[in-house]
Amino acid sequence: MGLFDKLVGWLGLKKEVNVLCLGLDNSGKTTIINKLKPSNAQVQDIVPTIGFSIEKFKTSSLSFTVFDMSGQGRYRNLWEHYYKEGQAIIFVIDSADKLRMVVAKEELDTLLNHPDIKHRRIPILFFANKMDVRDALSSVKVSQLLCLENIKDKPWHICATDAIKGEGLQEGVDWLQDQIKTMRT
Amino acid sequence: MSSVESSGDGGKWLDAHYDPVAGLYTFSSCVDLADLSGDRESRLVVGDLGTGSSGMKLKVYRGTALISENTLLDLPAGLVAFFMDLHEPRIPAVAVASGPCIYVYKNLRPYFKFTLPSLDVNPLEQDVWQQVREGQIDPVMLKEMLESIRKKADIPLSIRSLRFLSLEADEADEFVQLHKQQPIRRQTVITCIGTLKKSTADEDGISCLVIGTESTDVFILDPEAFTILCKMSLPAVPTMMDVTGQFDVEFRITVACRNGSIYILRRESEKPKYCIKLSSHPVGLVRVGKNVVVGCTDESLQGFTQKGKKLWKIILPAPITTMAPMDLPTRGLQAVLVALANCQVQLYREKNLLSTIKTPDTVTSICFGRYGREDGTLIMTTKGGGLMVKILKRTAVFDDRDSTPGPPVAQSVRLNVPKKTKLYVDQTLRERENGLAMHRAFHMDLSRMRLAAVRAYVKALESSLTPISSSLSEPLKMNAVVQGLGPSFKLTLNVQNTASCRPVMNLAISFLYDDNLYRIRNPYMRIPLLVPGLIYPVETFVECTSDKGISDIIKVFVLHEEKSSPLLTAHINMPVSEGLMLN
Ligand SMILES: Nc1nc2c(ncn2[C@@H]2O[C@H](COP(=O)(O)OP(=O)(O)OP(=O)(O)O)[C@@H](O)[C@H]2O)c(=O)[nH]1
Ligand SMILES: [Mg+2]
Repeated sequence: MGLFDKLVGWLGLKKEVNVLCLGLDNSGKTTIINKLKPSNAQVQDIVPTIGFSIEKFKTSSLSFTVFDMSGQGRYRNLWEHYYKEGQAIIFVIDSADKLRMVVAKEELDTLLNHPDIKHRRIPILFFANKMDVRDALSSVKVSQLLCLENIKDKPWHICATDAIKGEGLQEGVDWLQDQIKTMRT
Repeated sequence: MSSVESSGDGGKWLDAHYDPVAGLYTFSSCVDLADLSGDRESRLVVGDLGTGSSGMKLKVYRGTALISENTLLDLPAGLVAFFMDLHEPRIPAVAVASGPCIYVYKNLRPYFKFTLPSLDVNPLEQDVWQQVREGQIDPVMLKEMLESIRKKADIPLSIRSLRFLSLEADEADEFVQLHKQQPIRRQTVITCIGTLKKSTADEDGISCLVIGTESTDVFILDPEAFTILCKMSLPAVPTMMDVTGQFDVEFRITVACRNGSIYILRRESEKPKYCIKLSSHPVGLVRVGKNVVVGCTDESLQGFTQKGKKLWKIILPAPITTMAPMDLPTRGLQAVLVALANCQVQLYREKNLLSTIKTPDTVTSICFGRYGREDGTLIMTTKGGGLMVKILKRTAVFDDRDSTPGPPVAQSVRLNVPKKTKLYVDQTLRERENGLAMHRAFHMDLSRMRLAAVRAYVKALESSLTPISSSLSEPLKMNAVVQGLGPSFKLTLNVQNTASCRPVMNLAISFLYDDNLYRIRNPYMRIPLLVPGLIYPVETFVECTSDKGISDIIKVFVLHEEKSSPLLTAHINMPVSEGLMLN
């Protein structure tokens, strides 16, 4: 950690980072972000997101502003309008939805080939969510099906998560924080 | 990226799942999609015909997994999911039609069985069996009597009597003993099933079942009490149907029948309102908006209005195996899926082919709709029992290009023609004003030219300047070939008698030439008798005596002895001699 970062930390001023939270509808994006917020700010009922919503949470050294996008088919064309602002991406996959794995891959490929993303070294964190569901695919299988090994020019990381219990989330967020810090300095 | 795109469909579909050994043997009429758990995730419900007469099952899939199986007692003829009550949560029931019954399942458990009312039994048949019961007649007698009833009766025999008639003599006794005490019943069987919204068009509004039967009737059943609300009669046995509208308001039932006709039934009419007579049997029936698209056994796809007016007809590359509608209102897509025997599924909007999907096996059932959480899902089962799921890409667009043969598109592209010049305008003006005079002048010139041509021809004939003799007694043809580089040339004259049978005699050839230039070895030659048709080569040698590099014409005459004018004249343009005289 650089001196400036330390100073910022002491003063309670944290660097702002914009993160896009993407993934198909029902994959658990809102549930994950809700779990990352301080417990007094969490909501009980999570409903399908319409359009998108903006959420904030903090880690030890960063202050995240998350664009929680709706994953419904008719809202997916909104995603690309926020690519420019995003400094990191969280891509959530429902590991139990084998049928739509192709759809998730298609959306991921479209994202990676978008001109606002293609040539940037933007870190991507994958959450293979709903690992608690019986017959859910492992994170290894998910990364195989999405062909993540083909992503050569961007740092990426995949974690198996259970958003309801909050398992696996911290590991992912720690990775993301490290990536963003190395990016800056 | 290495996304696998199925060939030929232009990358419009994502291959979500394919299990070639799913063991699903079914037809489009026995497949439906419905949210059976009320969790907004649609399940796939299939009436599996099994293999042969066993293994009939009601199967339910969730995503890629089979989640439930129920044994069916008889082969399913059709299957529909429908809302039969107003209970919350809104979970549809499943109706399976087989034989004379409809089995209704709620929460995937058998709930209710509806049996069609039995048909009238022939009173004569009834009497005969009564007599058997009383021991008045024996099986042999019974057989004879039933046979005679069968021949003349207008009411067909019951299944029991028909079974009896088909038995061997030694089995007959036992059969009679076993069955004679039971009353005779005549049952019809269900051939097709559909649903009709009762009073609202809401997606989860309660629906009536509409069934077509082998007895050429169509029944509409009340969803709650399972009473017959309405009975309509058709001239033939229905095989497929499409139902639209609401029972309490206005509805329309389009039925394809086994006689090769399509009938359209409406509310408050017991008989069909319109009829479409097809040239061959229908194998698929799909309604698109207000029109009906019919696939026939003659490999054709035809469009009709709801009043039966024919709109179009196209010929397909292979026989049709099944058809299904493809409706995606959120994307304004309405088309018809046609599975063909050549392992293709084609998508048509009106008569235009939008896309073709190649499949590894022949498709026997198609269903398009919301499956799981995906609206545009295409589910197909194959002849070999495979299950295939494809998802329409979010970005897929189908361009409506007219694929019917006709002028190519390029023909209608406007060329960038330069503006009309002043000269052009003047010319057209002149042509418009003096059209008559110009036409006359043209005709005058044409006549003059013809006259000049005829004159030249006559002159040529008169002076026998042509290499063809037109004289009737000696019709001859000649051509000349000059060989060599010079100074010595070989001159070959091929003479032919073109008469059909008469030979020509007493001919000779002589030459006229400049003797300062040429020397001819035989300036006068006799021609032998010319047999008709044969070509006679007459050869001589010409020596060029000049070394100035000039050439001249040698005239050849074919002469008849005792005639002064030649029969034939030919001019030979001699080539320039390229060699030098040796002497
Ligand atoms: N079993 C299980 N269920 C989960 C998990 N994460 C989320 N869910 C459930 O999945 C459903 C959808 O979650 P959401 O967070 O609304 O999904 P989303 O990605 O925000 O969906 P959209 O806003 O429509 O794009 C909810 O019912 C969650 O309770 C998980 O890890 N395990
Ligand atoms: Mg959400």
